[in-house]
Amino acid sequence: MTANPGLKRLLGGQASGLVILLGFYVLLVITFTILSPFFLTGRNMVSIGANVAFIGLMAAAGTPLIVAGGLDLSVAAVAALTGVLIALLNAAGWPIWLAVGAAFGVAAVVGLANGILCTWARLNPFIVTLATMSIVGGFALILTGGLTKPVMVDGFNWIGQGRFFGIPVPAILMLAVFALLALVLRFTHFGRYVYAVGGNPEASRLLGLPVNAVQLTLYVVSAMSGALAGTVLAAMLGAAAPNAASPHLLTVIAAIILGGTSLLGGRGSVWGTLIAVLILGTLNNGLTLLNVSSFWQDVTRGFVLLFAVGLDQLRIHLQSR
Amino acid sequence: MTARLTMRGIGKGFGGVPVLDDVTFRLDAGEIVALLGANGAGKSTLMKVLTGVYRRDAGDIVIDGALRDIATPREAAQAGIAFLPQEISVMPDMTVAENICLPILPRLGRLTDAAAMRARAGTILADLGFPNIAPDGMVRDLAVAEQRVVEVARAFAADARVLVMDEPTAALSERDAELIFGILRRLRDQGVAVVYISHYLAEVFRIADRIEVLRDGRNAGSFIPRDTTVEAVLAAMLGRTAERLFDAPAAPATGDAALEIRGLGWKGRLAGIDLTIRQGEIFGVFGLIGSGVEHLGRVLWGAEPGAVGGTVAVAGRPFRPTSPAAAKDAGLGFVTAERKTDGILPDLSMAQNLSAAFWRDYRVGPFASDAAERRHAQTWIARLGIRTAGPDQPIRLLSGGNQQKACVARWLHPSVRVLILEEPTRGVDMGARRDLYSQLQGFAREGLAILILSSDAEEVAGLSHRSAVMARGRIVRRFDDGTNAAALLAATAQTEGTAA
Repeated sequence: MTANPGLKRLLGGQASGLVILLGFYVLLVITFTILSPFFLTGRNMVSIGANVAFIGLMAAAGTPLIVAGGLDLSVAAVAALTGVLIALLNAAGWPIWLAVGAAFGVAAVVGLANGILCTWARLNPFIVTLATMSIVGGFALILTGGLTKPVMVDGFNWIGQGRFFGIPVPAILMLAVFALLALVLRFTHFGRYVYAVGGNPEASRLLGLPVNAVQLTLYVVSAMSGALAGTVLAAMLGAAAPNAASPHLLTVIAAIILGGTSLLGGRGSVWGTLIAVLILGTLNNGLTLLNVSSFWQDVTRGFVLLFAVGLDQLRIHLQSR
Repeated sequence: MTARLTMRGIGKGFGGVPVLDDVTFRLDAGEIVALLGANGAGKSTLMKVLTGVYRRDAGDIVIDGALRDIATPREAAQAGIAFLPQEISVMPDMTVAENICLPILPRLGRLTDAAAMRARAGTILADLGFPNIAPDGMVRDLAVAEQRVVEVARAFAADARVLVMDEPTAALSERDAELIFGILRRLRDQGVAVVYISHYLAEVFRIADRIEVLRDGRNAGSFIPRDTTVEAVLAAMLGRTAERLFDAPAAPATGDAALEIRGLGWKGRLAGIDLTIRQGEIFGVFGLIGSGVEHLGRVLWGAEPGAVGGTVAVAGRPFRPTSPAAAKDAGLGFVTAERKTDGILPDLSMAQNLSAAFWRDYRVGPFASDAAERRHAQTWIARLGIRTAGPDQPIRLLSGGNQQKACVARWLHPSVRVLILEEPTRGVDMGARRDLYSQLQGFAREGLAILILSSDAEEVAGLSHRSAVMARGRIVRRFDDGTNAAALLAATAQTEGTAA
C-alpha cells in the first residue's frame, strides 16, 4: 500500500483507536437523529442506557481477562443461573439479599473453577469455558424446568428499574464498574501485570510475575460481573428466564473486540469496550426505531464488526511503518 | 569433476552493515563439505542466500553449470537444494511414508496413491540403511535421531542434489550422531553434495571431505581434514579478532562467594556441576548447543520443571530453585537468550519494561506510578546509552541491542547479587555489543557477580575473569586465569575425541 501521510496522521497516532471509535459513535448518533425524530430524546437515551447495561457489565470485566490472555464464554450462562437462583431461593422463603449473596457465591465458585482449569491445569480457556457455559446454562434450565420464574421484591427491582437523578440504576452500575476497572488497570500494579501477562506470558513468568494469580483473579471477576449482570436483568424484568442471557454472549465478545482489544492478549482498554457497547446498543435502538427487522440488525452488527476489525488492522499496519 | 554448485563473489549486507563480502563457495557432487566459523562469521547468512531465504546483494550462483537466480526458498527447492534446519521439522501426526513423500506425492488419478507412497518410502529408507523404520508408523513415535533420518529421506525423495544441514547432531547422543554420519556417507556415495554446518570440530574431522572456514563474512581458509590439525582450523576461524571487542579483563576478583553451586544435576542433562562465583567476578561458561549450557541458566532460575539435584547458595544462604519468583527473592537476576519470546514485554513501554522485575518499587502510596517508572527509566537510558524516543516508547520498536540493554538494566536492582546472562549478545550489533561488554565489566567492578552462559567462545574468553567449558551436561575444563577462544573450542573438541 502506498503511504499516505494524511491517512497515516489520522489513523496512526497514539490512542487513535479510541478517537476513531468515538467518532464512529458520534456519526451514528447524528445519522439516527436525522433519520428518526424519536431517537435523540431524553426518554430514548434513558432506554438505551438501561438496555446496554446488561451487556456492558459483562463486557467490562471480560476486557481485562482477554487482555491478560484469557477468555470467558460462560459469563452469560452465569448471569442466567444467578437470576434463576435468586428467583428460586426467594420463592423458597429466603430473604432477597441472602438469595443474591448465595447466587454471587455460586458465581464465584464457577469463576474459580474456570480460573483453576485455565491456569494451573493449563487447559485451553475456549474449551474450559465452553464446557462450563454448557454446564451452568444446563443447570439454569434444570432448576427451572425451562420456565421463567417471577421475582418481585420492592427494593430488589429498584436495581433494574429504578432511577437516580433520572438515570437508570443499571446504567449507573455499569458506568461504576467500567470506572472501577479503568482505575484498577491504570493505577495499580495488578493493572500492570494484566498487560504484561497478556502481552508475553513466558517473559512474565521468567520475570517472576504472578501470572496464574492474575488470570485466576480475572476469571473470578468475570464470573462476578456475570452475576451482577444477571441480577440486574432479573430485577429489570421482574423475572428470571433461564435462557434470557445466553443469546447475548456473542454481543459481549463482539463489543470487546470492536473496542480494540486483541484476542491474542496484551492490548485493549475498557474505555474502548464502553464505546463499543454504546455503538452496538445505539445501532440496535436506532434500527428498531426505523422499523428494521431484528434479523437485519444481526446482519448490520456483523458488518460493523468486520469493518471495525479491518480498520484496526489498517491502523496497526500504518503504525508499524 | 565439474562442480555441482559454485557461489562466486557473494555479498550481502543488512542495513548497510556487510555480513558477507566476496565469498566463494564450491561444492562437488558426492562430497561432504563442513562450513565452519565463529558466531557471526556469516555461515548461516551464506546458507540462507543459497536456500533463497535472503536475496544476495552481489555475486553468482551456478548449479550444474547453469547460472541460477535463487530468490525464494521455492526456487531453491526447484534447483534441487534442500535445507535441514537445526530444529527437526517433521509432521509428527503423519506417517513416516506421508512425511517422506510429502514434497512429491504419488498420484492415482486425482487421489494420493497410498500403496505407491508406502513402497517408495520403504525403498528410500532401505537405500539409506534404515529398513527397520516402518513406513506406516507415526513420526511422533520415532526417536529423535529417527525423525532426523525421516527428514533426510524426505529431502532425498524430493530429488535433492545439494543437502544443507545446520548442526544436525546438536540434539543427539554420540551413538545417534553416528547414525546421521552413516546416512551422510550413503548420500555422498549416491552423488549428493552435502554442506555440513557444525561447531563440533572432532565430528567435522571425522565426517567431512573438506573444511571451508569463514571469518567476518570472508573466506578464511580451505582445509582437507587428513592434511591439517584442529589448531590450524581454529586459527583460521578466530584469527586475531579476539582483542578487538573487549577491554582486557581486570584482575580476577577476590570477593566473597556470591553464588555457590555444588553437584547440580537435572533430568540427566546436567550432572555434577560445581561452580563458585565471587562478588565482582565475571564467570563465563562456554558450551556448544547440546552441551547443557542452554539449560543451566533456566534450571538455576527455577524456570524448568523437574527435580534439581545438588545444592545452591546465594550469598551464603541456601536456595532451592523452585520458581523464578523464588530465585528473584534469593537475589538472582536472569537475562534470557531468546529476547523476543522470553524477554521483552513487547507492547509495554521502555519504562514499564525496565520496571517489570521489581514493579512494586515504583509507586505513590499503594498505587503504581508512571512518574516513578519514568524517573527510573531515564536514569538507565542515560547510563547505558539506550537509543529510544523516550521512556514511553513501546519496546518492540527498538533495535535488538537497545532491547537487550533494557533486559539487562531491569535486573540492576539493589537486591540482585548475581546476574545470570544467557547468550548476552545474540542478535546484537557490534556497537551495542561493545557497550554491553564494558557495562557488564563496570557492574562487576561495583560488586555484582555475573554468570555468562554462552556458545560464543570469543565472548566467554574476552569477557570472563574465570571460565569453564561444558560438554555432555558436565563441566569438562576450567580456566582460572583467563583463556582464549581457541582453547575453549579445543576443550570441546578434545572431550568429544576422548568420549568417542
